[in-house]
Order: sequence, then C-alpha cells, then structure tokens
Amino acid sequence: MKNTSKLLRNLNIILGVLALIAFVYAWGVLIRLQPKMIAFQELTRLESSLLTGVGFGLIIALAFYLLSLLQVTRTVKISEELNFFPLLLIIGGVLSVLFIFSNIALLGDIHKQYLHELSQPEWSMVFPILGFQSIVAALYLYLHFSGYFVQKEKKNIVRDVNIFLVVQYVGVICGGMGLAMASLGFFFPTGWSLPVHTIIAGLTILFPYALAVIYWVIIKIKEKDWIWWDEKQFLDVGKSAMLTLVVNTVLMIGLFIFNIQDLAGVVRMLWLPLYLFMGIFVFSLGNLFFSRQE
Amino acid sequence: MRLENNLKRYRFEHDEISQQDLANAVGVTRLTIHSIETGKFNPSTLLALKIAQFFGAAVEDIFYLVEDEHKK
Repeated sequence: MKNTSKLLRNLNIILGVLALIAFVYAWGVLIRLQPKMIAFQELTRLESSLLTGVGFGLIIALAFYLLSLLQVTRTVKISEELNFFPLLLIIGGVLSVLFIFSNIALLGDIHKQYLHELSQPEWSMVFPILGFQSIVAALYLYLHFSGYFVQKEKKNIVRDVNIFLVVQYVGVICGGMGLAMASLGFFFPTGWSLPVHTIIAGLTILFPYALAVIYWVIIKIKEKDWIWWDEKQFLDVGKSAMLTLVVNTVLMIGLFIFNIQDLAGVVRMLWLPLYLFMGIFVFSLGNLFFSRQE
Repeated sequence: MRLENNLKRYRFEHDEISQQDLANAVGVTRLTIHSIETGKFNPSTLLALKIAQFFGAAVEDIFYLVEDEHKK
C-alpha cells in the first residue's frame, strides 16, 4: 500500500512537471499562432508541427489528471468524511479531463476553419479552458509535492461510502454536461452531426463517469462479501431509481409529443443521449440528496 | 408511533467509539449510523440486533418506541 502510494506520488510528480511544461508550451505556441491563423497568414512547416506538439502535450496532461484523480479517490476512500476540498479537487480534475477532449476538438475545428479561411470563434474558448486546466494542474502538482495525498492514508473503512458519493458527484457533472450537449443539438439542430456530436461527444462525456463506476466496482469486489450497498444506501438508491424512472418517462413522452410531426428529425439522433444523460444526472443527484438527508 | 434510540449515548459510554468504528463493527457505512442516530433512518431487525450485540445490550435498551405527539 505504502509502496503503491509512493510510486503513484513519484509518477504524478513527473507527469505533473511534464504537464505544466506542456501547458506553458501550449500557451506560447497558441499565443504566437492565433493572430496569424485569424488573419489567414500562411504557417511555416515548423509552426504547423508546433501545433501537433500542443496535442501531445494535452495527452500528457490527460494522463496526469487521470493519475491524480486516482490518487485523490484513494485518499478519499480512507478518509472518514468526504470533505469540501477533496471534492473540489475531484470536480476540478473531472472538468479538466473533459476539457482536454474539448480543447483537442476546438483546436481541430480551428485548424480546419483556418484551412478553409473561415472565422475561428473557438479561440475565445481555448484560452479560458487552458487557464482553468493550468491552475488545476499546478494545484495538483503542489499537493503531490507537499505529500498531501500520502499523509492522509490511515483510516480503516470496512464499508465504503465516500467513493459511492464521488461516483454520484461525477455523475452529476457528466450527466449535466451531457444534457447540455444534447440540448444544444436539440435547440440548434443545423450542423448537428450524428457521429461527431452524438456518438463521439457522448462517449467522451461518459468517459470520467465510466472510470468512476469501474473504480467503485473494483472497491466493491475487494470488499469480498458482495454487498453492493448497505441497507440505508439500498433505500436511497431505490428512491433515486424511482425518481429517475418518473423523470425519464415524462421526458420521453414530452419528447415524443413535441416531435410527433418530425420523429425522423433531430430527435432521432438525440433521444438516446437525452435519455441516458438525464438518467445519470437525476439518479446521481437523487443519490446525493437522499444520502445527505441525515 | 416512531422509533427512537440511545445509540449516541451508548457510543459515548463505550470509550466514545466513533461512528466509523461502530459502522465497521456492524458492517454498514458511517452515514447509516449517523442517519440512525438522528432518527432519519430506521435500521432493519438484523442491524438493530448487531448493534445491540456489539454493545452487549438488549435491543430495547437501545431502540424504543414513542407515541407521536399529535396522536395523543
């Protein structure tokens, strides 16, 4: 346990330093190239390859966030309570992971629009997202250096509740973002593409939630007695499932009635993400609400 | 009628054992013990028996019924 922790810490410090270097590099490259791309000036071969380097840097940052999230959840797992600060770290980490994919997509779009000499409004989103990610990465790196995650590993918890709650928080974030994404397609259907905006974006948003659920399942398997929830959690999960059924039924009926004249239209591509993300969002929110009713 | 309990008192009388330690001993989460203590959750018979056994007491010493005020 101690060795794993030390290994994770060292690996995180190395990746964190690399990620911060990658962010500094990305800032430098993008600030230099933005005016040229907006003005549709020709990029040299070197400048084009610098952009590819930004993509690689973001992949390193993704690895750092994922490994750091693993470290935070390991710490949370053996803490007596899920406090505000670790929760903030998890939310920041999950958002940063999602933003890595959105930044890659935005930079891809910018490059395509530049090649076709189209305006690139995406620039206005790239820098704030990069700023947020840089701050989160710096904070994580500082905490790894300070040994914040290693010191906390001491409490014996027989039956987990903290990771269960973390999964619900991640579910609220991913469900909410998925709903926002699907709603965009619903209200602005022009330019909506089934493979890109529904499937790839949907899978990307599901990625952190799937990781959180898998981690929770691994913890449950390690508990060995195959009791997935204790009796209070079981009651909470039941109430949340009921709430989810009601909300999703109303949503689907509403969607059907609202689109009865055009069922082959955008709703054909969006019923699944709307159903899925609403389910994850309401179920996770319900679990948080009922479990916090102490 | 509703179920109330002396769980908190029993915890303090037994070396001020924490909610987490009691939860570990009876195989539930800390939140469940907290919810029982605050009267938000009624434990199953099995859990009530486990808690009583842990403290070496009878179930009815820890859990007891009280009449609802408005029904009096």
